[in-house]
This record gives sequence, C-alpha cells and structure tokens, in this order.
Amino acid sequence: MSLAAESAVGAKRNYLQALNEALHEEMARNPDMICLGEDIGLLGGAFGVTEGLLARFGSERVIDTPISESLIVGAAVGMALEGRTVMAEMQFIDFISCGFDQIVNNLATFHYRSAGEVSMPVVIRGPAGAYGGGALYHSQMNEAWFCHSPGLKVVCPSRPYDAKGLLKAALRDGNPVVFFEIKELYRRRELEEAVPGPDEIVPIGKAAVRREGRDVTLISYGQNVYHCLAAADKLQEEGIQAEVIDLRSLVPLDEDTILASLAKTSRVVVVNEAPRTCGFAGEVLARIAELGFEYLDAPPVRVTRLDTPVPWVKPLESYVLPDVEKVALACRKVCSY
Amino acid sequence: MSSLSASAAPAEAAEPWGTDQRPSSSLAPQDLVEILNQLFLARYFDVRLIKEKKRGHLRGTLYSSHNQEAILVGALYGLEPFDWISPIHRDMPAFFLKDLKSGWRNPDRIGMSIQEVCAQIWGKAASPGRARDNWSHIGSRKKRIIHSTSMLASTVPVAAGVAYSERLRGSKAIVLTFNGEGATARGDFHEGLNFAAVHKLPMVTVIENNMWAYGTPLELGCPTPFVADRAKGYGIPGLVADGQDVFDVYDKVRWCIDYARAGHGPTVVECRTYRAYGHGDHDDDRANKYRSPEEVAEGRRRDPIAICKERLVELGILAREEADRYQPEGKSASEVRDEDFPPDVVAYVREGVQFAIRSPYPDAEEAGWWVFHEEGEPQP
Ligand SMILES: Cc1ncc(C[n+]2csc(CCOP(=O)(O)OP(=O)(O)O)c2C)c(N)n1
Ligand SMILES: [Mg+2]
Repeated sequence: MSLAAESAVGAKRNYLQALNEALHEEMARNPDMICLGEDIGLLGGAFGVTEGLLARFGSERVIDTPISESLIVGAAVGMALEGRTVMAEMQFIDFISCGFDQIVNNLATFHYRSAGEVSMPVVIRGPAGAYGGGALYHSQMNEAWFCHSPGLKVVCPSRPYDAKGLLKAALRDGNPVVFFEIKELYRRRELEEAVPGPDEIVPIGKAAVRREGRDVTLISYGQNVYHCLAAADKLQEEGIQAEVIDLRSLVPLDEDTILASLAKTSRVVVVNEAPRTCGFAGEVLARIAELGFEYLDAPPVRVTRLDTPVPWVKPLESYVLPDVEKVALACRKVCSY
Repeated sequence: MSSLSASAAPAEAAEPWGTDQRPSSSLAPQDLVEILNQLFLARYFDVRLIKEKKRGHLRGTLYSSHNQEAILVGALYGLEPFDWISPIHRDMPAFFLKDLKSGWRNPDRIGMSIQEVCAQIWGKAASPGRARDNWSHIGSRKKRIIHSTSMLASTVPVAAGVAYSERLRGSKAIVLTFNGEGATARGDFHEGLNFAAVHKLPMVTVIENNMWAYGTPLELGCPTPFVADRAKGYGIPGLVADGQDVFDVYDKVRWCIDYARAGHGPTVVECRTYRAYGHGDHDDDRANKYRSPEEVAEGRRRDPIAICKERLVELGILAREEADRYQPEGKSASEVRDEDFPPDVVAYVREGVQFAIRSPYPDAEEAGWWVFHEEGEPQP
C-alpha cells in the first residue's frame, strides 16, 4: 500500500488508502492529535489503516494499547478532556461492545454534563459489516446502539472519496463520532477514485444521491448501497427507475435529501444489513412517516437482516442478509402497489 | 523485542508442592507415553490444518498452536473427565484433547470427538454448534466445554459463574480457562478473577504467554515481568511454568487443580512459550515486519516434542531408537511429512478430516433457528 505521506493530488485511492491518507494528513495538521488502538503501531493495524503512522509520528502519539477497549475509549475521553483530538481504533467494530460504557455514558454525555465547557473531539473508528464470512463477531453493523445514544455522531462511508472526506470532517468536528468503515470495501479495485485534498472535507450530515430515478427511492448506506445500485440496474430493464440515496451520515440525518427524493418518487425501500428490530432502517421510516406521509403512494418497505446474529457458513449468512434480489423484489412490490 | 526467558524465576512458589513429590512423579509409564502421543497428535492436527488452509479448503482464520502443544496437553492431562474447560482461538486441539486419555475412540469420553471438531472447522452440520460460528467458538454443556465468543477474556467471568454454580451443587468439578497473555489486559479477566478470589472458586486460569498479542509485544500489554504476577492483586497463587516442557506444565497446573478441588480457591499459571507463526495464517508474512528472524528461531528452539522425548528416554520409558523413530520436532508445517508422525496419529486425524469432508453443510433455513428458546424447537 502506498503511504499517504506525500499524497499526489488527484491520484486514485482505494477505500483503505483513503482512510490512511486522512489520518496522515490530520496527524500532520494537528500536533495535538493522538491515535490509540490495538496493533495500530508496529503492525500498522490489523487491516493496515494506520500504516506508517508510528514511523512518522512516533510512539507517543501513536499508541499500541493493551487489549482493552474500555481503556482505549476511556483514555481517549481523558485526553480529550485535557484538550487533545483522538482517533481510537476498534480492531473490529464488533469489539466496540467491550468499550460500550465508556462510549455511551462517558464520551457521549461529556459535553452535556459539562454544560458545554468540554467538547470531545474523539473519533472511534473500525471495520464493520458482514458478507465476508466473518461470523457472529466479525460481521456486525451495530450502529443503531450509538444512534440511540444522544451526543454521538454516526457516519458510514461507502466509497473512498467519502471515507477520506468524512474521516477528516469527523476529526475536526469537535464532537464524538463513531465511524463505521466497511471492511469488505477496503480493497475493492473498482471503487478506486480520486479523493479530497488535504484541505477538503466531506461534511457530516449530508446524504448523496448516487443514481437518479423517478419510480422508487432506495435508501441505504455502506455495502448495501451497492446492492441498491445493482438492483436499480436490474429494475431498469423492467422499466422501473430507482433513485439511490447513500445516507453517509446517520446522525445527523439528512432529511431534506430523503424528502426531496420522495416528493419525486412517492415510493421508498430502505435497505440495511443490520437486524430489523430497532435498526436504523426503522428510524428512517419513522422520519418519513412523520415528515413525508403525504408523499407516499405505497406502504414503505424495509429490507434488513433477519433478527438473528450473522451465522458463519455461506448459505446461512446469505439467508439472513439483504442482497440484490431481495432489494429488487421489495421495489417490485412497492411499485406494483 | 521480547524477553524469551522461559526458565526465568517464577513469580511465586517455584515448586509449590514443597517437600511433597512433583505431581508428575506419580504418572504411570503408559501415561507418559500417552502424553507424548498427544503432543504428536496436537502437532499433526495443526500441521494438517495449515496444509488444508493453504490448499484453500478452509474458510476463516487459522491460529496455529504449533510450539504451544505442551501447554494444552500438560494442562488438560491433569483434569478429571467432569471438569470444565474454556479454550481460546489458538487452542483448537483442546476440544478433542479434553479427556482423551479415556480412550481416543471412546464414544463416552467427555471431550469432543475429532469428527466433531473437524466438522466445525469445515463448517459442516455435524459441528457441535452446527457451524453457526467459526473455528474455536464452540462448546458443549455435555462435554463441559464453555462456548466462547471472540471477545477475548470474556469467558473468565463465565468460568467463574460455572465454578460458583458447580460448588453450590456440592460437585467436585473445577473449571480450567485458557487465555493468551494479551487477553489478561481486559477488564473481564480481572473482574472474573476478582470474583473467583473473593469466593475462593475452583478455577484455574492458564495463561499461554507466547510473548506476542498479534503485533503487540508482551511489554506493551503487561507491566510486570511475569503475567502470573497479576495474581498478587487477588491474593492468590501465581505460578510460572516452562511452556515448552509438558511435565512442568502438568506439574504446575495439576497442583492448581488439586488446590482448587481441595477448596482453596483460584490460581493463575503462566506458561511461557513463543508463537511459532504469524498471529493467524493471514499474518504469516506481515509478522516478519514486527519480529526478527533471530527472535523467532530462538523462540522455536526448544520444541516441546523433543523435550518430552528426552524426559522419557531419561526415565527409561522409551529407548533412544524408539524416541527417534518419529521426528517432527524442529520442522515447520511445510517441511514435515506424514511419515514423521506415528501412523495411529495420522490415521486418527484422517478419520476426522474425512468425516468432515463427507458431511453436509447445514441447511440455509437453520440460520433462523434458536434465536429464542421455544417449545418444540428443532433439536440438533
Ligand atoms: C475484546 C477483543 N479485542 C480485540 C480482539 C482481536 N484480537 C484477536 S486475537 C488478539 C491477540 C490476542 O493475543 P493473546 O491474548 O496474547 O493470544 P494469542 O493470540 O497470542 O494466543 C486480538 C487483539 C478480540 N478478539 N477481542
Ligand atoms: Mg499471546
């Protein structure tokens, strides 16, 4: 992997390189920034997202922690209290549960409790998502836990441009951000693209329309964006024009982009690989019901994981997860209502 | 980077048995031979998995137990069949080594069969967890193996719960948990140990200190010279064993087992060893980035199979020619051949592998089963 140290403007990057580049740039830009995590230094991260940081910025600012997620988050809170910006890596986002209390009770509420005295520029990031045979504990999309904890912003990029731009925005935001990276997209060749320059960001809270259409709006984020785009291709052959929205940010949620699309299509399918009950897809539908009811010509539909853990072997994993066919089926259903 | 002094002075009570005999001195000759055979078996199983993985036959990550077999064999050999264990990711052989001395093909022994373990690794329906989770994430209440998750050290509080519960029933069972040295930094480890010490629970905590936790060396995870020193905070014995010497492991762990069974409470046994390969097979190449070849060679110099053989020859249990007949020691998975192992060991593993290959995958619909306990639910 090419180190991001000297980023050639306009050069194509994969998702992983884009993240690495963002970390290099922000560490260089902000001498008060510290990186914390398991195996992020000597090894350069389990996947290589932090490659080159230790050599460039030294072991005082790039800390190989013990296997202690609660410590990682708690120490980040302390460092932020003292005035630092912190990137805290979870080796897999699944292990974030081991730091849960520090995140939802300490980090998330700090600004509130201090009546605005203290802000918490802490980004907790890590590889998330299923479809790779990772089984119960290397497949999770547990974003809903954090969307449900006031004080945390939650983002999930689906492409290299956003990965870099959103990570830089998160590190400059001043609020704690839980940053869901999609590990299955880390090295996807076909996604390589030019990424934002050192001074550019992608603003948190703005969705992107990935494909325009007039018949049905598909709303998703992360890997499911690609299921939606592939389903839209399929549906086109059947005469259905699907619009595809990539939310990118879950908290805050870009309601305007959703409603503008609904005003056009009047039909909506929300796709999310997390389990159904209390998943973020449900929140999107609730907002639509509250704010866009009069736009709807058909009952909205969710395509989500079944309410099960993610099982290991392929046929079982596929059985519980959304896929292109399930998305297309849902679109046909709402379009024929 | 790491200090490799496996034989350095223990944290406490080098030989806690004092003037008594070492526990291993009462092992019968056939036990000593069985222990060597179990070492061969653990090594061969790992080698076979490495080869199968290289050929693309297996999914997921293989965490090799090469060079750490003496810890598994030595620790498990001192247990009674009804005792509980909780293995970690690197302990795949532990699932069938448990109670193996009751007969390798004995269907009634209280350990998993090689067929079950292979079915799990191959992702087949005959796995004890019907391949719902991968590799070491299996267990069995019947076989008294705690079902672990990926979250390191999360089985320590669970082990404490099992131990508490067993004792409440008046049972003599103890619980033996395995953990890497890296995992001992987690809160769960300490919370579990604290409760176990407060209640003097029958629990033995074996630490497989292979000097590395993925790409992080021991000294960045543990501030004391010995991981066993963590026991001091709980006022319980913390022993250090030479993890390359199956009899030293047996002695120290067996002492702790007897201590727990006698009602004295929990203990920690640190077994010092060295991780032979990368963290997982995905890390074999990258590991060269953070470990020097000299360090790796030094860490693998004292092969547990060779050390065990020497002891058996010394004791006159094996003739030198017998000891030299099969020589996998010192060879890596790519160098070693089936002929380097006793034929019954090779045959035993083959039975498991063949069974797994021939077995069906679970049906896709099973994915929705057993989220909740319900009347009339399917029984595996
Ligand atoms: C709570 C938690 N954090 C991180 C991980 C990722 N992880 C898996 S194994 C490992 C290193 C474990 O090291 P150690 O405990 O020494 O065991 P070893 O692999 O050396 O046998 C890490 C960090 C995990 N499984 N669980
Ligand atoms: Mg280790």
